[in-house]
Order: sequence, then structure tokens, then C-alpha cells
Amino acid sequence: MLYLVSRKVLLALFTVLVVIILSGFLIHVVPGDPVTTMMARSVTASPEAIAEIRQRLGLDLPVWRQVGLYVWRVFQGDLGTTVRGNEPVLTLLMQRLPNTFMLAVAGLVVALLIGIPLGFLAAVNRGRLADTAVMVVAVFGVSVPTFWLGLIMIQVFAVKLGLLPVAGSGWRNIILPALTLGLTHCALVARMTRSALVEVLGEDYIRTARARGLREHQVLLVHALRPALISIVTVVGLLFAYLLGGQVIVENVFSWNGIGRLAVQAMLERDYPMIQGFIVVFATSVVVVSTLIDVLYSFLDPRTRMQ
Amino acid sequence: MTDIVQRSRQDRSASLAILVGATIVAALVAIATFAPFLAPYDAMKMAAGPRLSAPSATHLFGTDEFGRDLFSRILLGARLSLGIGIAAVMSGLLVGALLGLIAAFSSRYVEIAVLRLIDVLYSFPDTLIALTLVAFLGPGMENATLAIAASLVPFYARVTYALSAGERAKPYVEAARLTGIGSTRLVRVHVMPNIGHSMIVMATIGFSSAILSAAGLSFLGLGVQPPSPEWGAILASGRNYITKAPWILIFPGLALCVTVLSFNLIGDSSRELFDPRRGRR
Repeated sequence: MLYLVSRKVLLALFTVLVVIILSGFLIHVVPGDPVTTMMARSVTASPEAIAEIRQRLGLDLPVWRQVGLYVWRVFQGDLGTTVRGNEPVLTLLMQRLPNTFMLAVAGLVVALLIGIPLGFLAAVNRGRLADTAVMVVAVFGVSVPTFWLGLIMIQVFAVKLGLLPVAGSGWRNIILPALTLGLTHCALVARMTRSALVEVLGEDYIRTARARGLREHQVLLVHALRPALISIVTVVGLLFAYLLGGQVIVENVFSWNGIGRLAVQAMLERDYPMIQGFIVVFATSVVVVSTLIDVLYSFLDPRTRMQ
Repeated sequence: MTDIVQRSRQDRSASLAILVGATIVAALVAIATFAPFLAPYDAMKMAAGPRLSAPSATHLFGTDEFGRDLFSRILLGARLSLGIGIAAVMSGLLVGALLGLIAAFSSRYVEIAVLRLIDVLYSFPDTLIALTLVAFLGPGMENATLAIAASLVPFYARVTYALSAGERAKPYVEAARLTGIGSTRLVRVHVMPNIGHSMIVMATIGFSSAILSAAGLSFLGLGVQPPSPEWGAILASGRNYITKAPWILIFPGLALCVTVLSFNLIGDSSRELFDPRRGRR
């Protein structure tokens, strides 16, 4: 057990390290000179200012030393400062991170609340009309672009019906973006629930439970759904990563004050230290959450502990 | 017995889904190819009609903020979406397949190194990988295509590796090895014909994700730039007219949905049909 957990943690550290190295490297794929590109959009770009930024980013050193220096600084908690405003990147990102997590969790809850019952319905009626219907809905669900669904939500609920605010960060503002994220991601949950449940329903202990004369709903809800739900926990980590990814666009649609909106703003302004910082913080969040879920899973399911 | 009945029924619905998907894709390809002849107006011409006019007989999908005909723009947009999709999938598949094959048929150390790197990248959503790459490469259609292609590489590399690792253990590979041929020839002559069809199925799965990424990037202003009639770019400008002209939001989004849906229908169902290990139980 301890071995399993430490292995997971080591793997997580490795992933974060690779991402930090890649992110330090990315600034060197910028065509032409990154500083000139960054300053092209700003009003005054004196040679002194350019030299100052070059020096600050360490762009005059050999590539491998720059990357090494970047990794070293990141491990000390220094993600650099923004090109515009010269503010510390880490502080800016950390201010917005709670907002991003709040929305991601809300979206996750919506996705699970819709996806699990749908998958359950499909698995119980496997091969019948309800199953086909749910799977068709699932294919439709993954085909709708998140940002378009968001715009349609705004058009219908905020503009036409005037029920909810268009943008902002209050509690009423979370409803539409959370629904948008949840609806576009519930298909994955439905599919996973279905296949996990179908697998469980083929197990011997289900037949035993039925043979003992238990009522069907008891067999389904107690004996089948519980182990199936445990295996759904494993996809929650993956789902969370995808939710966070989809959120980058959704935050921009709904002007939600999270790191995704900050990142896209930085991307449009070519604020490279900010973008690099976003990559590091995003990757760390994804890795931490999925590692936690992996560990949680091995506690929940005694079968994995045996191996 | 019931299993066989159920299976054939599922097979039939999967085949139907592929047929529907393929028909729509064929129609889209036709539209993309003949768009300039099909379009009633020049897609770039300003003031082809009154500004922001609602859908009518003269302007099927209405007009945008510059009085351009939306129907013509969406027809022409099919070219961009499909073009970016094809270019990104082809190059992503090529690089990914190469990486996967290298991992499967070279030394143990190379295998571990490549697999670890791919696993790290694979744990992040592909749209996000494309987004960050574009942030560094700079906006524009070529860079967006390149970034989307790169974002598909981890997926294709993993699939190719999984397929070839399965082949590696088979007797025919061992027999071929015993004749003394090199790895390159082994892959080209013996392995590729056996995994090629599965890789084509995988290629269709990448399409929908590539098209969605392209539209998302353009929507954020980091992909295809206006005035190009890319669907995501049209949606981005339509956002400002959400109250006055909702049709600018509705039609490009529907076009996007139909396109992505048709590729998903083909990809999902063919995976179900051709790969008995996944999906169906």
C-alpha cells in the first residue's frame, strides 16, 4: 500500500517536472525574438527596456542553462513577473485559482448528477431502446462545442428569459457555466457508468444475489451500483482534467474570473511568463487532483490493495 | 443466444451510424469542394445585403454586422474546418505513428523514455495543448493547424504503440525476426499491413477533436483570423450581437455540431465494430 502510494506520488512529481521543463523550453519555439514579439504590442519599446526584459528573462544565456534556471526558479516558487505591469505571476494565478476550482467542482457535480443516472438507465436496459437512446444522446453531447453551448445558454437564459446574469462571479453566475461544463462532459460519465455497470452485472455475485431471491432494485442499487461507482472514481480524475481544459474557453464565454480567462488574455497579449506560469499551475492542479483520486481509489477498492 | 441477437442488433445500429456519419461527411466534402459555386453571394463581400438582417428568402441564414451573407460564409467555412482537420490529422497521425512504432520496436530504454513522455502529455486535454502551443507560435491558420497536429500526437502515438505491442508478441513477427530482417523492414512489410486498418479507424476519431480545437482557437482569437469565414471566428464576432442578431450564433454552431457529430458517429461506431475488446461487453 505504501509502495503504491509512493509510486503514484513519484510519478506525479515526474510529470510536473517534465511539464516545467517543457514550459521553460516553449519560449524558444517562438518564431523570431520573443522580446521583440512581446514588445511589438506595447507603446514604448526603447532599446533599454528591451535589454532589461532580455536580462530579466535570462534570454542571453545558452538554451539549456535558461531552461535549467527556469526549473530552478519554479522549484523555489518563483514563476517570474508579467511583462506588462511587472506583477508576480504566481500571485496573480493563485488569486484566481479558487474561482477556477469552484467552477470545475460545480461542473463536475452537474456532470455526475446527469451522467450516472443516464449510464445506469442504459446498462439496466442494455441492448434495448433506452440504451440506444442514451448512447445517441451521449454522442450528441460530445459533439456540441462547449463555447457554443455556453453562448446559446446566455442567449436563452440570460437574454431571452432574463433569468440569470450574463457574466460576473457571484453565486448566481456560476449556474450557467457549470451547466455548460456539466452538460458537455456528462457523456463521458454516462459511458463509463454504463460499461462499469454492465461488467459488474455479469459477475457471479450478482447471479448469487438474484438466486437468493433479492428484489431486482436491491440487486441493482446495492450489489451492482456500489462497485460500479467505485470504478467511476477513476475517471473523475481524467474528467477533472478535461473539465479544467474545457473551462479555459468557458471562463472566457462567461467572463468568469479564473485562471483560464487570465491565460487567454496573456496569450492574446503574448505575455510569455504569464503563459508559462499558467501551464505550470494548470499541470500541477491536474496532477495533484488525479493523484489524490488514484490514492483515494486504492483505499476505496480493497481489490487494488491486494496487488 | 440472447448475446448473439443483442450483438447483431448492436452491430446493425453501429453500421447504420457509420452510414449516416459517412453520408454527412461526403456531403460536407462536396460542399467544401464546390462552395464557391454553391454560395449565392461572395462570402467576403461586404454589404451584400442590409446589415444584421434576419434569415429570409434572399439571405437564408441572414447577414452579419458587415452585411455579408451568412449562408455563403458558412458554406465556405466548411473548407477551412475540413482542411485544417485533414492537415492536422494527417501530420499528427504520421508523427504519432512513427513515435509509437519506434517505442514498440526499438530498445527497452527508448521504449520507456518515449512512453513516459507520451503519458505526461496524454494526461492533458488536447485542446489545451493546442492552445498553449499557439500562444507561443503566434495566432494564424498555419500555426493553429501545426499546434492541433502536435496536440494529436500523444493520442496517435499511444494507440499505435498499443496496437504494435500486441503484434510484437505474435509468432509471425518472431518468425520474420528469425529470418534476420531489420526493424524498419519488419514494421513496413509485416506489421503495418496488420495494424493499418485499426489506425484508419483511429484517424477518424482524431478528426472531431481537431475540428473542435480549431473552432475553439479561432473563437478565442488565436486561430484563423477574421475576416476568414471560419465557424469559430464567425461565432466570436457574433457574440457581440447576441441580442440583436442571434442567427449569427446559431448557424455556425449548428454547422460545427453536425460536422463533429458525423465524425464521432463514424469513429465511435467503427471502433465498436472493429475492436471487440472495447465498448461492447
